[in-house]
Amino acid sequence: MTAGSERVVERLFFAAAFVSAFVTVFIFGFLVYYGLPLFSGGRFIEILSSPWAPHQGSFGIYPMIVGTLAISMLAMVFAFPLSMGCAILISVVSRGRLSKVIRKVVEAMTGIPTVVYGFVGIFLLIPLVRNVFDAGSGMCVLSASLMLAVLVSPTMILFFCDSFDRVPRSYGHAVLALGGTRIQQFLHVTLPCSWPGIVVAVTLALGRAVGDTLIALMIAGNAVQVPGSVFDSARTLTSHIALVFAADNESLEFKAIFACGVSLYLFTTILVLIIRLAVHERGKCGQVR
Amino acid sequence: MQPLTQPFIPSSVKIRVSNLSFSYNGREILRDTSLEFPEHAITAIVGPSGSGKSTFLMTLNRLWEELPQCTMGGRVEILLNGIQQNIYAPDCGVEALRRRVGMVFQMPNPLPMSIFKNVAFPLQLAGEKDKNVIRRRVEETLQDVGLWDDVKDRLAGSALSLSGGQQQRMCMARAMILRPEILLLDEPASALDQKAAEAIEQLLVRWKQNCTILIVSHYLDQVKRIADSVVELQGGQLRNRQVATPRV
Repeated sequence: MTAGSERVVERLFFAAAFVSAFVTVFIFGFLVYYGLPLFSGGRFIEILSSPWAPHQGSFGIYPMIVGTLAISMLAMVFAFPLSMGCAILISVVSRGRLSKVIRKVVEAMTGIPTVVYGFVGIFLLIPLVRNVFDAGSGMCVLSASLMLAVLVSPTMILFFCDSFDRVPRSYGHAVLALGGTRIQQFLHVTLPCSWPGIVVAVTLALGRAVGDTLIALMIAGNAVQVPGSVFDSARTLTSHIALVFAADNESLEFKAIFACGVSLYLFTTILVLIIRLAVHERGKCGQVR
Repeated sequence: MQPLTQPFIPSSVKIRVSNLSFSYNGREILRDTSLEFPEHAITAIVGPSGSGKSTFLMTLNRLWEELPQCTMGGRVEILLNGIQQNIYAPDCGVEALRRRVGMVFQMPNPLPMSIFKNVAFPLQLAGEKDKNVIRRRVEETLQDVGLWDDVKDRLAGSALSLSGGQQQRMCMARAMILRPEILLLDEPASALDQKAAEAIEQLLVRWKQNCTILIVSHYLDQVKRIADSVVELQGGQLRNRQVATPRV
């Protein structure tokens, strides 16, 4: 490759990187610009902490923030052990056919459209939650987070498996040849070596759980309230953006949607930063523990 | 099946392989072969590349069971704690077996942890909790392999930072810390320079007082220097071979 064409390719890559970085910044600027009337004069904190009562002129999104956190965090509480267990089964405990079959099923699950999960939630999960817990309509935080856990688990499982499989085989043989069991091999070597991959998987899954709209919209009940228990209906920030009906683009109600966008944006950014810091602190495989 | 006690076997036989067959991925590697290996001796296993020497070692600590698509037939009996045991008997615990039959691989395989933790790891796996015991045994074993003076000031440093020769000696220390009765070595010096290889050979000669050693080797010089007996693996058969020159 000549020096000239190399420079062209270099510039193309730079342009691609610049565009993707610019789009991210641009979206944030766009959200802030449109939500400006709500952010000016220190009102942003007020929006984040006050209730949503448009008829009384209060456009706070506090209930939606709590709803988002409750549903996504609870979804992770369900999804993490489920995914970890499934990944251990695929990559550590089972070998051969069973492992391959489960892996294929999980791979297929990643391709199922969210709306299908939503329907399964409405027709199977909601009646189940309603009957088992005798909890009102069944459209609640618990139902939404259970379904969301099923939605995010396949991605997490595949990432976990991938990180487990990437641990050099020589490590595994070393442990087994020294009289270790497969479980000891997993706990002492595979798991510590897979730490960065596990963190990435959790970040992606949490990002998806926070950002997903349809599951919460279809299953959580969408009541604008701070949920007092897992059996209460709740509304997430994403559902709120989808649900607010404002004909007037200049109304504060409409502007509040942008406050939701900014909150989601900030939340995801802070999350990624915290997790990156955690990976950095914990170190990578091959470093001394 | 009960572990067998057979008084007619002379006590100098440590390992007895009977009618051993082994296939990997449909390919026959060992074919109905039988042989005995003497106690407190270094037996070198030679043979062409790909003849199954490493696989044969893995039948003695059952490590092949971790590989996919392998099948084995026949019998392997080992004199462990003075009792001859069929190591494939259902009541022979595989972890306990591997603690008595140590293994060192061709490429040094330190685990991604500190030097100290690497060497102490088998004790930890075996459930040893007493920190003083662990510290003492690690020091003893590292001194035994001649690595103590090199690493005593950086025991907490990563094992991956050691040189190849040091890594292999550390792996030997790790394999020996549980004081196994048998040590299996799969070309342990092939990735090392002459000096490091000689250091390992000297260790093996010293260790055979307490241990039965089987070493796969490609180097005839090395075999001549250290082996008490030589076994050739060819065409799926194990055969005793004459040691060409007296060993040093």
